[in-house]
Amino acid sequence: MTNYSRRRRPQLRLLAVAAVSALALSACSGGVTGGADEATEEGPIVLGMLAPFSGSEAAFGPYMENGAQMAIDEINEAGGVLGRDLELVTEDDACDATSATAAANKLITSGIVASVGGYCSGATLPTLPIFVDAGVPMVIPAANSNQLVEADQDGVFLINGTGDQQAQAALAWAEKQGVKRLALVDDNTDYSADLADAVAEQAEGTGIEVVLEESVTAGESDYSANVNSILSADPDMVYWTGYYQEGGLIASQLAAAGYGGELLVADGTVDAKFSEIAGDAAQGVEGTFTQTPDMLEGADEWITKYEELYGEGPGPYSTQAYDAVRVVAEGIEQAGGTESEALVEAIQNIDGLDLFSGPLKFTEEGTLSEGGFAIVEVGPDGAFVLKDDLQG
Amino acid sequence: MTTRAPETRSVRGLTYRIEPPAPTRVRPAPARGLREPRRFMSLVGGLLLLLALALPFINASPYIISIGTSAFIYIMLAMGLNIVVGYAGLLDLGYYAFFAVGAYTSGVLATNDMPLVFTIPFVIVACIGAGLIIGGPTLRLRSDYLAIVTLGFGEIIRLTANNLELTGGPSGISGIPTFAFFGWSFRDGLDLFGIHFNGKILLYYTAVLAGGAFAVLAVSRLGRGRLGRAWRAIKDDEDAAEAMGINTYLAKLAAYVMGAIFGGLAGILMAAHQTAISPTSFVFLNSALLLMAVVLGGMGSTPGVIIGALVISLAPELLRDFSSWRYLIFGVLLVLMMLFRPQGLWPSTAVLPFLRFRARGRSPREGFTDHGEPSENVDRSEELA
Amino acid sequence: MLQLVVDGLFVGSFYALVALGYSMVYGIIKLLNFAHGDVYMVGAFAGFLLFSTVTGLVASGGLMSLLLVLLVAMILTGLLGVFVERVAYRPLRGSPRLAVLITAVGVSFILEYGVRQIMGPNPRVYPVRLTGETFNLLGARITLPQLILFAVAGLLMVALNFLVMRSRDGRAMRAIALDPQAAKLMGVNVDRVISRTFFIGSALAGAAGVMAGAYYGTVDFLMGFVIGLKAFTAAVIGGIGNLYGAMLGGILLGLLESFGTAFLGGEWRDVFSFACLILFLSLRPTGILGARVVERM
Repeated sequence: MTNYSRRRRPQLRLLAVAAVSALALSACSGGVTGGADEATEEGPIVLGMLAPFSGSEAAFGPYMENGAQMAIDEINEAGGVLGRDLELVTEDDACDATSATAAANKLITSGIVASVGGYCSGATLPTLPIFVDAGVPMVIPAANSNQLVEADQDGVFLINGTGDQQAQAALAWAEKQGVKRLALVDDNTDYSADLADAVAEQAEGTGIEVVLEESVTAGESDYSANVNSILSADPDMVYWTGYYQEGGLIASQLAAAGYGGELLVADGTVDAKFSEIAGDAAQGVEGTFTQTPDMLEGADEWITKYEELYGEGPGPYSTQAYDAVRVVAEGIEQAGGTESEALVEAIQNIDGLDLFSGPLKFTEEGTLSEGGFAIVEVGPDGAFVLKDDLQG
Repeated sequence: MTTRAPETRSVRGLTYRIEPPAPTRVRPAPARGLREPRRFMSLVGGLLLLLALALPFINASPYIISIGTSAFIYIMLAMGLNIVVGYAGLLDLGYYAFFAVGAYTSGVLATNDMPLVFTIPFVIVACIGAGLIIGGPTLRLRSDYLAIVTLGFGEIIRLTANNLELTGGPSGISGIPTFAFFGWSFRDGLDLFGIHFNGKILLYYTAVLAGGAFAVLAVSRLGRGRLGRAWRAIKDDEDAAEAMGINTYLAKLAAYVMGAIFGGLAGILMAAHQTAISPTSFVFLNSALLLMAVVLGGMGSTPGVIIGALVISLAPELLRDFSSWRYLIFGVLLVLMMLFRPQGLWPSTAVLPFLRFRARGRSPREGFTDHGEPSENVDRSEELA
Repeated sequence: MLQLVVDGLFVGSFYALVALGYSMVYGIIKLLNFAHGDVYMVGAFAGFLLFSTVTGLVASGGLMSLLLVLLVAMILTGLLGVFVERVAYRPLRGSPRLAVLITAVGVSFILEYGVRQIMGPNPRVYPVRLTGETFNLLGARITLPQLILFAVAGLLMVALNFLVMRSRDGRAMRAIALDPQAAKLMGVNVDRVISRTFFIGSALAGAAGVMAGAYYGTVDFLMGFVIGLKAFTAAVIGGIGNLYGAMLGGILLGLLESFGTAFLGGEWRDVFSFACLILFLSLRPTGILGARVVERM
């Protein structure tokens, strides 16, 4: 017969070692049984930012980070908030839901007080419950999908104009231009499709007929089939809601095909690179856009300072990120502390803080009361310049 | 060594004794107890599982729990792909389609007020259906075609999810609730022995048990069974397997469907973990990464695949600074692996060195003699999974 | 209607050029070079770099500069193809199918993300663009650049056909495609011929890349991925391993896509192409013109 004791001993020994080490380790704090760290009232106030630094949207993360850091440095130089310095911790969400969830949890673990990030809606939506459950208010500079608003969470604020507001601006401009037939072209990604749907919805009851709702596939080069469909629908104006990479191609292919109507683009396409890609076809193209520093008087200083600090000009959402930090700082000042519920209420009640998009007043849903969208057009050197601020 | 009693036979009145031939080599007794490789690996697996269960006691920060949950979901996915690629040798470049089907099915149903647990049978049915639809026409094809066609199917499923209203279009589905049973949801947490386990930790435990325990055990069981042997035969030489009477088409289809089921179940877990899913999570890149995990670890070997899955899912977190180089490095690793070590980090036929019993002084390199010296190096009496 | 045909033919010619490379390589070593689409992308970037950095005749734009850059880019991508074959595929020639396919996936990743590291993730704009007047042909619009590119693509295909059918190299390729062992016995230097096949196939893909960059105007590191899949679809439709099949398949796929998107909508374009692929593989795996080598699928 086999020797039972001989066989059992190594197993038992290993199990015993495992059990003892587990017990010993569990006494560490940080575990479920260990004590939790108390929130400190000393030391810097930490703000967290999730932005894409890798992946398809890697170019946009640094713009947001720099804008926010600039605000933080300014506030700290002026004495900080409630006597404490602000600090920024950024994590890469790679515009991907899985990375974003892990990154959000990482930020929570580092003890942030508020979140000032969020670029891709698809990567920001999964982080909503994480931040909300942890009592961290979110001031989102870029992501503006309707689903963020519909999630109806307290403590989530969007300081980028929503799709609905941009649609409003586009339709207002179309009416002003006397457009009767409107074609909507999107690139089948969430933000773009949302915007197109919003326009279609809001166009009902106005004098504008939406003659075509067309989707293109992003990332391709040949849009001749889509161009054909657009031309057959014979619109007065085409509203492209996607990004500049495809927008430039579509503009040039539309022009080559002999399209004679107006082309209006959404804020994803408003970028100097659009003119590069579209070439001659960029002349006369207009866009809906929230006013950026180069369009506002007095913002030249801000741009120069940014360029000095970071070596290049500001990019999309630098100003919104800058503003997000200021909103949080103001909220903390008003609330007198960083306690979550008080902070949320304070931010909700902010009235009149001067942001780049205008004086701030959040709606009940946590969006801007005024989208601050204006009409821009391609200027002589390819960059977009203000054409009509739609305030008239 | 037992010897049989000599048989006798009568032929035309003469009796012959038939004796079994004397063994030319004395084989050493196969290892018993813990030294037997499979039992040892089971113990190691059990210990690792205990460690995983003990993790929240060591560090319950949301970050660690979150990446732990992701890691175990990934392990479950990798085990599913292991069935298709590792066992049956079918190169599937669109495996994430099943993941997407599972996640979307449970997501759509859960956001329409069905408790997540009840979505499980629907997901299984949907994945079986998807597996049959994708596998049906393509499994008759050569492996090269299969790779690209599965890629095509993966893209079709992703694009369809992107285009349909039902699946939320490009924005996907958000607000997926976590597991709930009769009014008590994971979110409420559990108080056991005075310790409060919050919803995230409960989900982590679910992932460990489903991915770490259930998937690993089930898949390795499958691999050791009759189907597993059929798959291995098909992987080695399909024509020979067909000639031996294995219905290769049905076996391959079974591999596909099994893999689909595991992918779908992992999808449910991911939907609960992330609470929001969108088509961008299911691009081809992720299928390729999962394939890399299986290939790097060792196709067809359970420990290898687990290692590969852990590496691929944790590397982006641990190496957050190198994120832009990540895919380039993965590509280079893949090519290097295939050139120099195609069996992967932990090959399926590997045995830990100290478990191999070796007669003193003899190794295969020194050649085999048959002068009664034990010269077998590995115990083949029971095949390893 | 005719416009759809013209557009389809134009897109189809790109698919055809890339599909030719796929078909040639498959015919010879039975490998689906997954990285072939990325060779197209590298060709486009090679053209971009050449246009951006070299001054003089090249930078002046116009047809001559385009052809010059095309030639150089073709040589560069051809050499890339040979290099990839030598380093990644040749050592695995005796290995099981699975290993080579996985290596091809790895090479594809290396090309894509290597270019991304060097050139950045954003699309780059071609410094030299093809512009020209538009002609009206029976109600359909055709631009001069389109005609030029048609001509170039056609010329390349004719040259390829001549090479494969008439020259000694071509005979050697066909011999290896039929039976590698016998070809070796007949004194064909199999390694060298395979290298040459990769050279030609990759050069064609590179040419397509440069033309796409010059015509459409932007190049980005992922542009090869979808083209690779579409080209494979085209090769399968026409009959993989068959050069005429690749050309036919490319044009056919372009037409199918053009009509398909007109009826179904732009967002279903890729779904439509892949569905065609699966349909063909299920119903007629040998393609329209049939495979060169009869083999159990």
